[in-house]
Amino acid sequence: MKQHPLCTDCENPVTPLDLPIAAAVKREWVALETRRRFLGRSGKVLGWAALAGLFGEMGLRRFAGGTDLPLALADGHAALGLPHFAPKAKRAIYLFMSGGPPQMDLFDYKPNLATQFNKDMPDSIRGNQQLTGMTAGQAHFPVAPSHWPFGQHGRTGTWVSSLLPYTAQMVDDLTIIKTTNTDAINHEPAIMLMNTGSMNAGKPCLGAWLAYGLGSMNDNLPTFIVLQTKTNPKENNQPVSSRLWSSGFLSSEYAGVSLRSGADPVLYLADPAGMDRDVRRKMLDTVEQINRQTLAEIGDPETNSRIAQYEMAFRMQSSVPELVDLTKEPQSTWDLYGPGAKQPGTFAYNCLLARRMAERGVRFTQIYKRGWDVHGDVVGVLPALCRETDRGTYALVTDLKRRGLLDDTLVIWAGEFGRTVYSQGGLTEDNYGRDHHPRCFTTWMAGGGVRPGMTHGETDDYSYNVVKDPVHVRDFNATILYCLGIDHHKFTYKFQGLDQKLTSPVPAHVVQGLLA
Amino acid sequence: MIVVPKLIGAIRDLRIPTVPSQWLCTLGLSVLLVTLPFVIRFDGHSHADWLQFLGRFHPLLVHLPIGMLVLLPILDIIGTTRPELREAAGFVLHLTLATAAITLVLGVLLAYGSGVTGATVSRHMWGGIALLIELMVWVTLRPMWISGQLQQAYPVLLTVTLITLTWTAHQGGSLTHGSNYLTRYMPEPLKQFFPSAAAASDAAYVGSAYMRNIHPILDAKCVACHGASKVQAGLRLDFYELLMKGGKDGAVVAPRDPDRSLLLQRVTLSPSDRHFMPAEGRTPLTADEIAALRAWIQAGASAAATMIPGIATTARATDLLPQPVADYSSLMNEILQMQRSGGAKLIPVSAKPSDGLILRTIDVASKFDDAQLAGFQRFAPFIVEAELGRTAVTDACFDTLSKFTNLRALHLEGTAVTGLSLEKLASLSQLTYLNLIGTKVTSNAVAPLNGMPNLHHLYLFDTPAEAAFASSNSSLRSRQ
Repeated sequence: MKQHPLCTDCENPVTPLDLPIAAAVKREWVALETRRRFLGRSGKVLGWAALAGLFGEMGLRRFAGGTDLPLALADGHAALGLPHFAPKAKRAIYLFMSGGPPQMDLFDYKPNLATQFNKDMPDSIRGNQQLTGMTAGQAHFPVAPSHWPFGQHGRTGTWVSSLLPYTAQMVDDLTIIKTTNTDAINHEPAIMLMNTGSMNAGKPCLGAWLAYGLGSMNDNLPTFIVLQTKTNPKENNQPVSSRLWSSGFLSSEYAGVSLRSGADPVLYLADPAGMDRDVRRKMLDTVEQINRQTLAEIGDPETNSRIAQYEMAFRMQSSVPELVDLTKEPQSTWDLYGPGAKQPGTFAYNCLLARRMAERGVRFTQIYKRGWDVHGDVVGVLPALCRETDRGTYALVTDLKRRGLLDDTLVIWAGEFGRTVYSQGGLTEDNYGRDHHPRCFTTWMAGGGVRPGMTHGETDDYSYNVVKDPVHVRDFNATILYCLGIDHHKFTYKFQGLDQKLTSPVPAHVVQGLLA
Repeated sequence: MIVVPKLIGAIRDLRIPTVPSQWLCTLGLSVLLVTLPFVIRFDGHSHADWLQFLGRFHPLLVHLPIGMLVLLPILDIIGTTRPELREAAGFVLHLTLATAAITLVLGVLLAYGSGVTGATVSRHMWGGIALLIELMVWVTLRPMWISGQLQQAYPVLLTVTLITLTWTAHQGGSLTHGSNYLTRYMPEPLKQFFPSAAAASDAAYVGSAYMRNIHPILDAKCVACHGASKVQAGLRLDFYELLMKGGKDGAVVAPRDPDRSLLLQRVTLSPSDRHFMPAEGRTPLTADEIAALRAWIQAGASAAATMIPGIATTARATDLLPQPVADYSSLMNEILQMQRSGGAKLIPVSAKPSDGLILRTIDVASKFDDAQLAGFQRFAPFIVEAELGRTAVTDACFDTLSKFTNLRALHLEGTAVTGLSLEKLASLSQLTYLNLIGTKVTSNAVAPLNGMPNLHHLYLFDTPAEAAFASSNSSLRSRQ
């Protein structure tokens, strides 16, 4: 009778010793497989188990904290022990300039470049860098100095391009980082890295981490809201997708809630004619019952998220209309944000909403502005981009400041990378294009936790390499977490066998120089 | 240098118990040692490199006599029961003497060669000399002790030698690591017994940018070698006047000219440069520290100036360090229940109970009135921030709030308060933030806040007080 090679309950059972395994391994197997060893190991295991029971979670906590109650936060955040320390900022507003703003046309002033016009950038500056497919084939890398003059502003005398007249007025409130740098040279990996700490999809973004770790500050609005700015078709708009505000492996209730950029920020929010709140409530209660049955049967935690989302949507039916009702805003608001803020979907409108959300206890707001991908016609497109964003940005920071919100709100302004000093495509007297540039780009923060009125880091004469104090994207994110009271080393979530964290497995550091 | 063979000869001679000649030899060498510092004067200048080259083996070799000296009494004590160890002790003693002598010579070479001076250097040297003399006396006495004489004198000598050793070694340690090396991280209760643990400072300049930003840098990175205890190159940086006086190479600070200031030049050299400071692999200055030094020198290197452009002092620096509040853990059950009950909530600031609680009313703001606020009085000492924005509280709330003694931030924006009895807040010494925007408070109402020195962040936007406030040159700050 032919028997299966690994049959164990047949006449002539085959042991692993009969398998084609190296003799040394077999010897070890024989040496390990003794009764004495089995008993010894079992005894130890039981001993450890008993010890673990004695010093179980509650026991240890009683030992350490003198109380058997969780020390921080309700709503399921108790076990996380967050914030790790008293935070300077309770909330954050992230202005995301998707596409990659050209740092040397806005903040990174390089006056010496004027003399380099149309000269090839020295090879030593570029080194052995692999460029994008868009300029790798170029025979020349002609230096394109910024088309716009710069001026010194504020008490700190910070140089800012004339394209940003409003931002220039608030440089004393900003913490400008000239040496942010990233690993990716193309949009999708770079924007993922910036938002989630990883170039690959599937990781939670900053906002989801914050929602998970710090929880909501109010019952009626989502913890994490994403606002998209209406696109300008003349600009080179790279797509942004919900991957960027995804909760990854965290429960989907921590994902960003994206509001539409039209007049109706949430579709079908109003109850249809003939349905009053009570009927809606009854319907939701029944749906919840059914969902709870499903949860009991299948046990998928995502069902819980779904129940929570139905409830949130119900409350948003009254909170969102109030949020977007700007009729009670005083004239001083419109004076500050400009007339554009009255038009839903503009950047200034979103900035105003962000301030209103900050007042209403939204933990994290992220505003996306697309179109910064200026591969060509910088002179034509960049002024429009700046016009669209400059005043709103200034208004937001100034408004937060005068309303006493900037003390505990962190405002972040960043894109996914910078742009090259050399021109992509033809360089003429009055126009140029710029390719992606990961080695250095300018970002800024303002408000709770960061030191106002300073510039961090230096780049070389071509705004190409970091000369001093580099801030990697991971360091950037670690610093944001720090401002919100989180130690990025300790803030982890076990997934796929790893203690996952926003700053990824590669070491990251809080940039102490940026902190107040 | 001739001392060494002489000593070795003396050690060999000691084996022959010719007591008078031994005593004579010890006496002669002692006199020689005591005169040594007067022959070789430490003049604060560095000398030939080879002196320093040899001298730098001093910290290496010094551990040999220390180790052996500690071994000696152990051998002698155990030797009472195991005689062979007592015999070994004799050999170890001679070896100790020999290495101690060499160490002393190297030490003198190091100090003389590098031009270091200072009180601790002198003390360390005299300690070394005393130790060597004591060792010689010990060598002389030991045969007598073995033969049964001097049973009392020997332990006394042993004790004295070990005390000298400890003291001398401590002086040496202070030279290498700085005088507060042992006390710096000492627990606070112990520190009171060591008045020197508190850093010496120019009391006259308290509050100046120099004391706040510059002195701490020098203290942490430079004073170990350029301070009272060790004065390399005649330069001391522990006091402003001494810093400005400079060292043997002249002034190290050229006011308004950072590039020509030796102090800045030395710390910005390439770390491989032999003139780079801090020397000998000690922690270099950080970019921020260098920038602060540069800005301070650029601004005139004044000891008294309180603000220096370029050094971020910021209004926040004057904010109080948050005072820890008492542990609220025993009330946690109640706090958690409240969080679930749908009313106003108490939220921990962080995982540390000493960071206090936030009173959060945002979800029930319109219904939250003075009576409800009064209900939180029992948590008053733990509440550090009260978010009462857009609630229904009125001027009556100040009665309750005045009992929130640890309150740091108070939000009253958009409420009906008019500022009547705002002065009741004056007792809140911790209050740094007060938000009154969108209320009806007048400039008269906020005037009493003038007396609150820690209230750095007062917000009056969109109130009757705003305009008056912006125009009046009040000592109150409306945000920086």
